[in-house]
Amino acid sequence: MEGKEENASAEAAPLKLLGSWASSYTHRVQLALRLKGLEFEYAEEDLANKSDELLRLNPVYKKVPVLVHGGRALPESVIILQYLDDAWPERRPLLPADAFDRALARFWCHFADDKLGPAVGAVFTSTGEEQEAAVRQVHENLALVEAELREGAFKGRRFFGGDEVGLLDVVLGCGSYWLAVFEEVTGVRLVDADAFPLFHAWLRDFEALDEVRETIPAVDRLLEYARGVRHMLLGLAGAGGAGGAGADAPSSTAADAPTASPPPAAATATAADIAVDI
Amino acid sequence: MAGEKSLVLLDFWVSPFGQRCRIALAEKGLEYEYSEQELLGTKSDLLLRSNPVHKKIPVLLHAGRPVNESLVILNYLDEAFPASPPLLPADPYARAQARFWAAYSDKVYEVGTRLWKLKGDAHGQAKKEMAEVLANLDGELGDKAFFSGDEFGFVDVALVPFAPWLPSYEKYGEFSVKEKWPRLDAWARRCGERESVAKSLHPPEKVDEFITLLKKHYGIE
Repeated sequence: MEGKEENASAEAAPLKLLGSWASSYTHRVQLALRLKGLEFEYAEEDLANKSDELLRLNPVYKKVPVLVHGGRALPESVIILQYLDDAWPERRPLLPADAFDRALARFWCHFADDKLGPAVGAVFTSTGEEQEAAVRQVHENLALVEAELREGAFKGRRFFGGDEVGLLDVVLGCGSYWLAVFEEVTGVRLVDADAFPLFHAWLRDFEALDEVRETIPAVDRLLEYARGVRHMLLGLAGAGGAGGAGADAPSSTAADAPTASPPPAAATATAADIAVDI
Repeated sequence: MAGEKSLVLLDFWVSPFGQRCRIALAEKGLEYEYSEQELLGTKSDLLLRSNPVHKKIPVLLHAGRPVNESLVILNYLDEAFPASPPLLPADPYARAQARFWAAYSDKVYEVGTRLWKLKGDAHGQAKKEMAEVLANLDGELGDKAFFSGDEFGFVDVALVPFAPWLPSYEKYGEFSVKEKWPRLDAWARRCGERESVAKSLHPPEKVDEFITLLKKHYGIE
């Protein structure tokens, strides 16, 4: 069933994922593994107190996620996802078959990580005029994606991958759930269903999938975590100011998140992690 | 092969990202039309139409359809021309490592740019980071001839275009690659002996002139 014997034993080697519960990059890998029906061991990393194992397995970036397969470490989520396709070509491919479509998927994955993600992160970590500029940037970026759905590369598709989710859905989707969370926490409007109807519909369909629901943490936990981080970033009690719907932001982060009452350095680390996690 | 005749590369003479593509096309024995683009002035309609998101080169047009971003183009060339010598290795893990280090090599340019552009603390920070980046690359290369072993491949293609920029970075960063990372220095010379590389890269003096031009353009120093 698995093909050649050597492939079978390589493929059968155990999979272990080092990740962080609130990291959308980690969710990408968890979702991909679930879509491919691959079993794996999960190890939660405390990002404010990284394990020796993580530092040894990803010495260059020291970040999650890291996938360990048969003892060999693979960092960087988009690289991991492509590895899963290369190592298990017979299991639900994430990339399309056509070379040009593959190039498009990769291009838009880079866009998600280099442009859209940082812009969304900037909205979350800023206030006032700086935040307004960041919001405009997010809208410009979303408009580009919307245009591809409406009349460009992904016209007429339910998902970026076609009828089923693919690489770009996983990459964009795991992270887009932060949009609603950040809207709630900062009081800023990011994804207007009227301004971005196709993106909005896609996200709704993505989030309704079983494997996605299994992977993305409950919105309450995400909200609590985001409120805590924003609170620390703004350095004031109740400074969820712009959006705090009266909810008491805890002065420390949520119980499951990195540390309680973290010192400034760790707070910066947490903010940086969440800022790049989109 | 009919497919080859319809390859056009939108590029800019000194761009290391464009050079990645030129080297790749040469290594694969693929014919193409080179189209020099105006970047500091007005960008062509063709470029703006082909890469509306970033408006940047390189762009590879294949039968009129644009493929954007140098590393995406390199992957594409392997996949669209499977009969040509592959840039990526066959083994899945080796491929993942190649993709990782090719993407990492972008940092040489990113940090290098900060070296000639910035002053004060920011410049100091860039110096530190450049040392880290080069040390990491040197460590990954180790005692191998090329990054994936005996064969010139994906990572080498991705990194070697930055070699002519290193003398300038050395000047602005006050370091010597030959002194600190002799293996990397030897690797750059080794790659330079390949025809595809020798024909695609410009001498360091030309690159340094270009940096000086950019500095004037940005009103630096």
